[in-house]
Amino acid sequence: MTGIYATVITVVALLFAGWALISAAMNRRPTLLLFAAAVLLELLLLVFAVGGIVQMAGSSRQFARAEFVGYLLGCLAIPPLAFYWARGERSRSGTLVIALAFLITPVMVLRVQQVWAGIGG
Amino acid sequence: MADPGEVDAGARHSPAPTGQGFGRFLVAVYGIFALAATSRSAVQLSTEFNKAPLAYVLSAFAAIVYIVATISLARGGATSRRLATVAISIELVGVLIVGAMSVLSPSVFQHPTVWTGFGSGYGFVPLVLPFVGLWWLRHTR
Repeated sequence: MTGIYATVITVVALLFAGWALISAAMNRRPTLLLFAAAVLLELLLLVFAVGGIVQMAGSSRQFARAEFVGYLLGCLAIPPLAFYWARGERSRSGTLVIALAFLITPVMVLRVQQVWAGIGG
Repeated sequence: MADPGEVDAGARHSPAPTGQGFGRFLVAVYGIFALAATSRSAVQLSTEFNKAPLAYVLSAFAAIVYIVATISLARGGATSRRLATVAISIELVGVLIVGAMSVLSPSVFQHPTVWTGFGSGYGFVPLVLPFVGLWWLRHTR
């Protein structure tokens, strides 16, 4: 699992999270731009998942493959769920929901890497 | 449950939705725990069930409790509200009992669940969450 791309996702997600948390602190409901950020993160995660599965298929190493794919799919599920759930909320809570998704993503990416490295959890 | 002091000017208003405003955020947090507990227990039950059946059955039970709480809080309505109250009460009892047991007899809980150590592996959010959930159900009544 290439570390650089995972680091890029982590940094982007954390920057987005900081932005979302600041807008929530300023009592803003989620803007179109924030939803666009969630879409962008989803695209990054899509590449991450495809790359991860391709690498897994090309490797003969022993590790928890089902768990690995499970966590990759879990990553992919988060931004759309947050998008769906935050939409239609007319308060800062919607912004916080998006912020949560951005905060959880690095944790999920870390778990993907741990499973890839064979570290149990 | 019914508090006669809280009837405002005799107006029998229908309860506020539990999945809007702050509830929107609360449901998202519950959803994350539903997802985390479910995935953890799925892995535990499918790959290493025999290692610690008690802990892993507890994990699965916690997962179900979080799923029910998430969905019923999101839906709102009278029945969902009752279901949410039951689920979150079970969650509160669960985190307190499992938390206390894991501190008193750690050997039984070497394999972690969401509620082990009062949720210390998850920043103690599992301990705080049921209190917030019950408060929110009261607040929106």
